[in-house]
Amino acid sequence: MGDEANREEYIVQMKKIDKVYSNGVAANQGVDFNLKKGEIHALMGENGAGKSTLMKMLFGMEQPTSGEIVINGESTVLSSPSVAIAKGIGMVHQHFMLVPSLSVAENVVLGMVPKKGLFIDKEKAVEITRQNAEKYNLHVEPEMRVADIPVGMKQKVEILKALVRGARILILDEPTAVLTAQETEELFRELTALKKEGYTVVFISHKLNEIKEITDRITIMRNGRSMGVYETKDVSKEDISRLMVGRDVILNVQKDAAKPTDVVLKVRNLEYVNEWNKKMLDKVSFDVRKGEILGIAGVEGNGQKELIDMLFNLNVPDAGEATVNGKSVIGKPQAKIREMGVSLVPEDRMLYGIAAQASIEENVISDRCAKKELNKGPLFHMGAIHKLSEQLVKDYTVLCKSPAQQVGMLSGGNIQKVVVAREFSNDPSLILADQPTRGIDVGATEFIRKKLVELSRSGIAVLLVSADLAEVMELSDSLIVMHNGRIVAYFQDTGTLSDEEMGEYMLGLKEQTPEEIRRVCHD
Amino acid sequence: MTKKRQLIFSLVRGALAILIALLVAMLLIFISADGNSFGQRLSATAEAMKQLLVGPLFRINAQGIKFEGKRLADIFAAMIPTIFTGLSVCVMFAANQFNLGAEGGIMLGAFSSALVAIYVPLPKGLHALACILVGGAVTGVVMLIPALLKVKLNVSEMVCSLMLNYIIMYIIKYLMNTAYADKSKGQIQTYPFLNSSKIPALTQASIFTSSKLSWGIVIAALTVAAMGFFMYRSRWGYQIRMIGINQDFAKYSGMKVGFVIVLSQVLGGFLAGAGGGIEMLGRYPTFGWSALPGYGWTGITIAILAGNNPCFVPLAAFFLAYLGKGCDMMATYANVPTQLIAIVQGVIFLFFAAERFLSKYRQSLVVKTANEEIAAKMALAGGGGSLPQAGASGSQDSVKEGGKKDE
Repeated sequence: MGDEANREEYIVQMKKIDKVYSNGVAANQGVDFNLKKGEIHALMGENGAGKSTLMKMLFGMEQPTSGEIVINGESTVLSSPSVAIAKGIGMVHQHFMLVPSLSVAENVVLGMVPKKGLFIDKEKAVEITRQNAEKYNLHVEPEMRVADIPVGMKQKVEILKALVRGARILILDEPTAVLTAQETEELFRELTALKKEGYTVVFISHKLNEIKEITDRITIMRNGRSMGVYETKDVSKEDISRLMVGRDVILNVQKDAAKPTDVVLKVRNLEYVNEWNKKMLDKVSFDVRKGEILGIAGVEGNGQKELIDMLFNLNVPDAGEATVNGKSVIGKPQAKIREMGVSLVPEDRMLYGIAAQASIEENVISDRCAKKELNKGPLFHMGAIHKLSEQLVKDYTVLCKSPAQQVGMLSGGNIQKVVVAREFSNDPSLILADQPTRGIDVGATEFIRKKLVELSRSGIAVLLVSADLAEVMELSDSLIVMHNGRIVAYFQDTGTLSDEEMGEYMLGLKEQTPEEIRRVCHD
Repeated sequence: MTKKRQLIFSLVRGALAILIALLVAMLLIFISADGNSFGQRLSATAEAMKQLLVGPLFRINAQGIKFEGKRLADIFAAMIPTIFTGLSVCVMFAANQFNLGAEGGIMLGAFSSALVAIYVPLPKGLHALACILVGGAVTGVVMLIPALLKVKLNVSEMVCSLMLNYIIMYIIKYLMNTAYADKSKGQIQTYPFLNSSKIPALTQASIFTSSKLSWGIVIAALTVAAMGFFMYRSRWGYQIRMIGINQDFAKYSGMKVGFVIVLSQVLGGFLAGAGGGIEMLGRYPTFGWSALPGYGWTGITIAILAGNNPCFVPLAAFFLAYLGKGCDMMATYANVPTQLIAIVQGVIFLFFAAERFLSKYRQSLVVKTANEEIAAKMALAGGGGSLPQAGASGSQDSVKEGGKKDE
């Protein structure tokens, strides 16, 4: 399969795509991406790796900062989704873009409505929908209201919408995230049928099983760059996960054996069903003790985010209890939770971690702005605040001109250092570190990992959630694995574990007995 | 973007907006100018523009141009109410609360102050202070309506406060016409204020020979300073700003988001109300406003021009007052309708509010900065920086090899 011979075969080529968002984030850097006619192509990568950005550019929703998009051998500027649609590209978003109050048929013909005089020809719309549904073998109920149909059918309506508009290339953004196992199977059958008809499908996902099952080729992205294109049959799940999460960071963290003492965080039987009726937490119980790092490993989307949200009251569980030093944190305001000595390094640092347009100084005092030592009567004690921020910038080696610099202008690693400086310096008894080193440079990663070990050895309890297998295995003293909202394994000692064994637990191929898992509760 | 680039961008953008607005104004004046030939119209336009740009401070006649203290005093006088509404809007907008209640707020403050000034005899000095505080407090309390509805029921504060303006106006009109009407007068107004309540004029200073300018301008200046400290040097202002930038961040940091949102709107109400009182007692003998005064709307323009920073409010207020005076001058000396000011203001406002205005220029600055940062990081990281590149070149290799693993 020589490269030259295949040139004509590509119906889409995206060459050296760069994208810098207006907030200064470089979401894509020199990305190459191509599609062959009639293939199902997986686009994989972690959240924030740049997959959605790349696809938004292919669908005309965003414009590349530089680079070229070639469609059917012709260099094209996709200035808007309607241009993309005219070029035969359709996209099904993760969150459906349907009008809930209209019928399925009305949604399908939206924007190209058949008319009878001044009015919409509803019968014709139903007819068009029925015909197309039959043609593409996508079973929908044309006359039902979208608000009343199940999620699986909504997705079919979306796909149908794209096909009716003449799409030959379908981009599906995490299509299975909201589907049940049966619905997923059905979707796969339909996609395979479409592929046989010569349609091309881009399948964005991070579920390894599905990718292996249905796709022909895989493009893997990490940190805004392409990690390569592979034939699906040639790469193992392990290869994919390694390329996705990356093990190229050489870990250089020394740590002594943990000497855990009293239980700080006690979680018992947490349960949560999300808005799409999916069970995200299923009787989750564990303890974290003083002086240890407990890691949570698992493929993303298996309940880790929900768990952390519950522990910091960013969400409320349906049932269960979580206490810190004996006091419940469920439903407590964040100020109270912080008073109990809980710190959180949030997964999404741009959403929760910082106020991007504020200065470094303003960002490091956000949790302690009412403290006595930073105030002088009604006003801030600016001297004390300057001293504190300068000290933190120095201690945490934040690369900046001065603490007055705007945080949003820093690089990802330095932004994370600002978050960590605040969260680690408020005298915590429990640190929740959710993906603490995601998407940041090597230096900052190593720094933050060292800090975590140092803090845990000084007697702080640390709960570490990470999709980076290397990180979670080497930093944690003991480890739990989450799959489908449940804890499926507990390892008291991470030293003896192999990647392969971990992978089997993470992908749900293996599970420990309830007795083994229960050991993580140190009652 | 670096701070310097951001500053350059704001300046270029602001200057360009004003320039475009003036060009539009010029075009409109030219169209409506008297005169039969092109040349006549052109000279009429030039005359009008001269009045607009120079007239607010200088008398222009055959002898030349002469500075007029009275005109400057008029501009300062016009700034008093708009500084207060500008500050009010700043505080509310800084918390990302699009409360438009400053318009009704200044009217309510003026009316409440007027009632105290008429009916509650107090010693001189104390009386004015009491009037202003009551005006502010009443308005602050009324602003609890949109604020609490927002926090408790997630009602849009914008819609709520906008409608509230008219409710306030009609209730005041009703009261003016009935319970508090001075029936001995031909027009609808209240009884005259007690002398003890009046804010004296600033006539002592020799260049200000206008009786319209009261000590209110000094109170306004002090309030600006106080609000500057409040917003940038106190924990409350800090929390207001952080909530405005990122509410999720504020919540996660442990701030009492609901309380601070209410605080910002009540404080905004207080400022608008107090401003109404000061304007009333410094300028009028009795309360006779029978419609919304428009200062609240101007306050919104000022807050946007000032970027929600109280320290820039006087500048923005001066700019708008200057334009207003310029239009008065044009109307008097160049026969151009005063309504033109609304168009000029509107155009400036449009370009300031238009997010995408010059966005390409901004994006180019952003990209430039990002590229510099990436380059700097590469240089800094040395070997580390080349890692991702190895991955990128690997991608091409793997395509050539027909998808074989490149490692």
